[in-house]
Amino acid sequence: MHLILPPNVSARTFDRALERFAGVVGQQWVLSSDEDRETYLDAYAIGDGRDHAPAAAVAPQSVEEIQALLRIANEHRIPLWPVSRGKNLGYGAAAPVMSGTVVLDLGRMKRILEVNEKFGYCVIEPGVGFFDLYSHLREHKIPLWMSVPGNAWGSVLGNALERGIGYTPYGDNSSKLCGMEVVLPSGELVRTGMGAMAGAKGWQHYQYGFGPAWDQLFVQSNFGVVTKAGVWLMPEPEATLRVRVQLPKAEDIGWAIDELARLRLRNVIEHPFVFGNYLHDASVFSQREEWYRGPGSIPDEISEKIMARYGIGWWSFGLTLSGYPDAIRAHAQVVRTALEPHLGHELKFESWQRGEPIEKSGAGIPSVLPLQIVNWRGGRGGHIGFSPVMPPDGQLALERFRRVKALYEQHGLDYYTSFTMGHRHINNVNLIIYDRDDKAMTDSARALFNALIADAASQGHGEYRTHISFMDTVAQTFDFNQHALLRLNETVKDALDPNGILAPGKSGIWPRALRNKRA
Amino acid sequence: MKLADAIVACIWIAAAGFALAAEAQALSARQEEGLQAYRAHCRYCHLEHGTGTMMLERRLGKENALLEQRTNLETGYVRAVVRGGLKSMPALTRVEVTDAELDAIAAYLTRTNPQAQR
Repeated sequence: MHLILPPNVSARTFDRALERFAGVVGQQWVLSSDEDRETYLDAYAIGDGRDHAPAAAVAPQSVEEIQALLRIANEHRIPLWPVSRGKNLGYGAAAPVMSGTVVLDLGRMKRILEVNEKFGYCVIEPGVGFFDLYSHLREHKIPLWMSVPGNAWGSVLGNALERGIGYTPYGDNSSKLCGMEVVLPSGELVRTGMGAMAGAKGWQHYQYGFGPAWDQLFVQSNFGVVTKAGVWLMPEPEATLRVRVQLPKAEDIGWAIDELARLRLRNVIEHPFVFGNYLHDASVFSQREEWYRGPGSIPDEISEKIMARYGIGWWSFGLTLSGYPDAIRAHAQVVRTALEPHLGHELKFESWQRGEPIEKSGAGIPSVLPLQIVNWRGGRGGHIGFSPVMPPDGQLALERFRRVKALYEQHGLDYYTSFTMGHRHINNVNLIIYDRDDKAMTDSARALFNALIADAASQGHGEYRTHISFMDTVAQTFDFNQHALLRLNETVKDALDPNGILAPGKSGIWPRALRNKRA
Repeated sequence: MKLADAIVACIWIAAAGFALAAEAQALSARQEEGLQAYRAHCRYCHLEHGTGTMMLERRLGKENALLEQRTNLETGYVRAVVRGGLKSMPALTRVEVTDAELDAIAAYLTRTNPQAQR
């Protein structure tokens, strides 16, 4: 892939900047060949991904190296796009919003700096992956549980900084960050929360510190490079009870969301969970052509065959009750009382006690099995997620389901959805799966994505996270008082990053000099 | 295989001392280095019941699904797939898998293909 230079930067200046980068990190860690650039493209892009082409990548190994790189970037006006492990799959992976940006790859910074068993936290660098931390906890027999997303190839911090979701009681990953160390665009190093006090005891114990708390300003933003952070880990419970529930009819979503929201709000169910349709299972364990080769969305009669083959419902979800045996038995009874009258059969809970094989528990265990879904259409598969937030109301969910399913059908694509239950909200995660080399299909996927954004916004539902190709469009839907929040974000951006070097366009936030790039 | 069983079978095997019969063979130092790198970078997907293995089985049949048991892999092919990606497999950067690690992985994966040894 040929070089696309950063805006307003000459080839000579760019080469000089790369030379200086190499002086900081070593030539080996400045990745600027055609092949290198290709490896940083979004592997699941709608189309070839070259509309988000990085100019190079640079991979520091220390805070000091990051500071030096940012200072050089300021001098030469080189935009940098920080990634932890570059596995933000479905949202752009390692690729930047703006072509010509240099990826700041933090994958070499993978130290687990501290694990505190007594108080249940760790302090880690951005390159630490879910598998790395899980291995560390297992190898050292540390009885702390991680919150792990469905596809766990990525970085623990990167996922939390994008507001990723896991499925234990600690599953709102961003909310479990406690204390960050951040390099500001100027190169200055700050620590948030109690860490703002040199030698502080309690950095990973209290999230806010004194005065304004900045941590959320470094989440989904382009205001700084997070170089380490504390993450709360869940003490291993005494026992768990797990149950998998199948709902045969699409319309069951109405009563089910209402009942589950009541249980969730009262902390009978304490964790986020996927309330997903049959395509979750079908797309992992089969390919579309095994079921249907016709045009358009999969017909409902084919859906029935899929459900019958796997013994699954239109919807399914898994619940885990964790804690002391007597307490979770009591909660299991509450769940049964809520759901069984609707289901018409008894729920069968699977029991686990500490010391038994961990796979039978509700622990977060890293896996990449769900990545199999990208192979649903065959070819060079890709996927993108559209995920608006909505209240956990049954009637609303039923209406949302009908509207979105109709939009998928209008665009001839298969409806893959989850009404993922948070504490007081739903992340309605809709995946669009496509063959990247089928232009008609990718055109439909792009059109569907835009239609979903517009439709959700018209109903008052905004996205919690989005792909790099749609950040401006989604940011525009947050339009209260003529986009006052975007103006605030860009005021902060210009103050912290006057040269506009850090992740231009991230979450729709552009620095002053590059606002003409806004889509 | 039931869905739940399949999920349990493939979750967390990579770093838990999972051993293929092939590992019992004597490995050269370079191949051993490759095995360690393969464990660290490839077995997220390319292990028994792993997502990469499932994809390969669909495309190339069961006999070609598990990379560590293949006897027809070539060095250049391994390098090209890792750096270029293939089908639904993303390309891996030189930060994630260094050139030296990739060479070692290729040596490990081609150990049973005499034609590939150079």
